Amino acid sequence: MSLLEVSTLRAGYGPVNVLVDLNLVVEEGEIVVILGSNGAGKTTTMRAISGMIARSGSITFAGQSITKSSPDAIVRAGIAQVPQGRGTFPELSVEDNLRAGAFVRNDDEIDEDLAHWFEVFPRLRERREQRAGSLSGGEQQMVAIARALMSRPKLLLCDEPSLGLAPLITQELFGIIASLNRDKGLSVLLVEQNANLAMKIARRVYLIETGRIVASGSSDELSADDSIRKAYLGF
Amino acid sequence: MKSLVTIHEGRAANWALRLVAGAAVIGVMLWVPTHGSNPLIDQFTNAFVLMAAAMSLNLLLGYTGQISLGHNAFFGIGAYATGIIVSRWGWSPLVTFPIAFIVAFVIGVLVSLPALRIKGIYLALVTLALGLVFPQFIKWRKLTWLTGGPRGLDNAGFNFSKKRRTYEIFGWNPFGDMRGQGAKPFYFWIAAGVVVITYLVCRGVVKSRSGRSLIAIRDNETAAAVMGVNLAGTKAMAFGISAGLCALPGCVSTILTNNVVPDSTFLSIAGSITFLIVMVIGGAGSLWGPIIGSGLYVFITQKTGDWSDEKNIPAIIRPFFSWAKTSPGTGIFAVTLIALMFVAPRGIVGVWHQHSPRLMRIVPRRAGTGTGTGTLVDTPVDDTVAGEL
Ligand SMILES: Nc1ncnc2c1ncn2[C@@H]1O[C@H](COP(=O)(O)OP(=O)(O)OP(=O)(O)O)[C@@H](O)[C@H]1O
Ligand SMILES: [Mg+2]
Repeated sequence: MSLLEVSTLRAGYGPVNVLVDLNLVVEEGEIVVILGSNGAGKTTTMRAISGMIARSGSITFAGQSITKSSPDAIVRAGIAQVPQGRGTFPELSVEDNLRAGAFVRNDDEIDEDLAHWFEVFPRLRERREQRAGSLSGGEQQMVAIARALMSRPKLLLCDEPSLGLAPLITQELFGIIASLNRDKGLSVLLVEQNANLAMKIARRVYLIETGRIVASGSSDELSADDSIRKAYLGF
Repeated sequence: MKSLVTIHEGRAANWALRLVAGAAVIGVMLWVPTHGSNPLIDQFTNAFVLMAAAMSLNLLLGYTGQISLGHNAFFGIGAYATGIIVSRWGWSPLVTFPIAFIVAFVIGVLVSLPALRIKGIYLALVTLALGLVFPQFIKWRKLTWLTGGPRGLDNAGFNFSKKRRTYEIFGWNPFGDMRGQGAKPFYFWIAAGVVVITYLVCRGVVKSRSGRSLIAIRDNETAAAVMGVNLAGTKAMAFGISAGLCALPGCVSTILTNNVVPDSTFLSIAGSITFLIVMVIGGAGSLWGPIIGSGLYVFITQKTGDWSDEKNIPAIIRPFFSWAKTSPGTGIFAVTLIALMFVAPRGIVGVWHQHSPRLMRIVPRRAGTGTGTGTLVDTPVDDTVAGEL
């Protein structure tokens, strides 16, 4: 049983289906990356999985069907999403942003987790009382990721974390994602334009075009494929 | 920014500061009803009514970002709940408060149902329609048996006996002489009580987990939803509580005037606009904003109340306002509002937050990690992974 199984997924906005018959799986402990051109339907896929838009077909997570679940039920089930763009709450402090991530939790270890993620992201600890809106783009992206992790997810959906970030910050973020995966066994479904970078940390890759998966395979296989390399890796 | 005084939260200095501020507020609150003149007590009571209404709107607009131009209707529901129950059924005005809250809460939740699907300007229009239709609905001929039609309802407040009655506590007389005009201190306390309750409810909501989710919805609805915030439920709840709270000062307004008519200011759309303006001037999205805004509004309108007579305008500013045929209070407020939107888009409280650190800084207690002082180490990059990349 895979952690996440998406099959014959259809989803879109209003009457128009953006995704037609989309299939993908994420195994436990894997980093999987979705590549595709602008408007291919990557964000739409993420939104369908996290329950933000109408969808049909079948999505199962850890053996449970979440096809019809509400977004909060899906978060409770263990899927957290880092939305595309600066998905922070600008008026809340950094700390309160992180606390908002624990919204669905009811246990008494929230403070411990907070301390833990401040260890992982020391930049955020220094700015914990600052309004999230006043952070730099990279720091905000860290807030968005740390906040998602506060819900203790089994699967992290990460939509273009590198958008608008300097290469060095992007590397730092990817480094953190990779180490979370390695040390904590966090599974990650990653959407990324920076294919080179993404394929270095991902085990498997899906290529999406106009709402369909057109190719998939291990990172090594796909980067060895000439046509794919030309189209997505640019060399 | 270097500040003159730095105080650590929870330390003695912080407690002393709180004590002084608290004592000042309590001092004023005790002095006004017992020693203040009747007009002064009135001014405070009116300010309290406006405060509670503006605070209720602030909970909705300031914290969840849902605009409502129909809060005069909820205010009116409170005013009429008291009016109908007291004048038709003869119950005590005090029991009308919870009833008014519940009725307004239910109607607020119902109104929020379309609000779940619409935003911004469209929500403004829907609630505006509610605010416009409310006085007309009250005047509807088929409801005259209940609402009293355009003439409203009389004898809707407290019915004090003709005999002079005072309630003294150790020779101190907090309620004044409970008869006719003498009941002013008593009304002062009722209005103050409503403000305190409204403040505590707003504070409770805002500082709680759900408060964080309200701000989250306002700031970034999508992100809030993927955090597991139930958008529809939270919004409906916020709308209901806000509407219910706004009914309470409505009850007070009926008690104050002993009657209720459909065309009084706060029951018409002008009420909503006033709530909105004082909230914005004070500072939307902060607990104290509406309180300060309302106080200022009542102060200005009171001070400028007789300025339609040129001689009453202070000499320095007379040239600017002598053209006014009617009292320029509202005009002054409007100009203040425009000016404020440029210099202080976050209201008076925003200005305070911006500039007070120069004077005084209160260092919040640190939660979470050990050391407590922010170490200035840069983020250590995970060497191995960064190396692989
Ligand atoms: N809210 C929306 N309403 C209607 N159509 C939308 C909406 N969001 C996206 N679309 C459409 O759905 C299609 C897929 O969009 P999507 O955001 O999934 O692309 P993407 O692969 O994430 O692209 P990008 O790399 O630019 O982020 C596009 O044609 C887009 O116009
Ligand atoms: Mg996208």
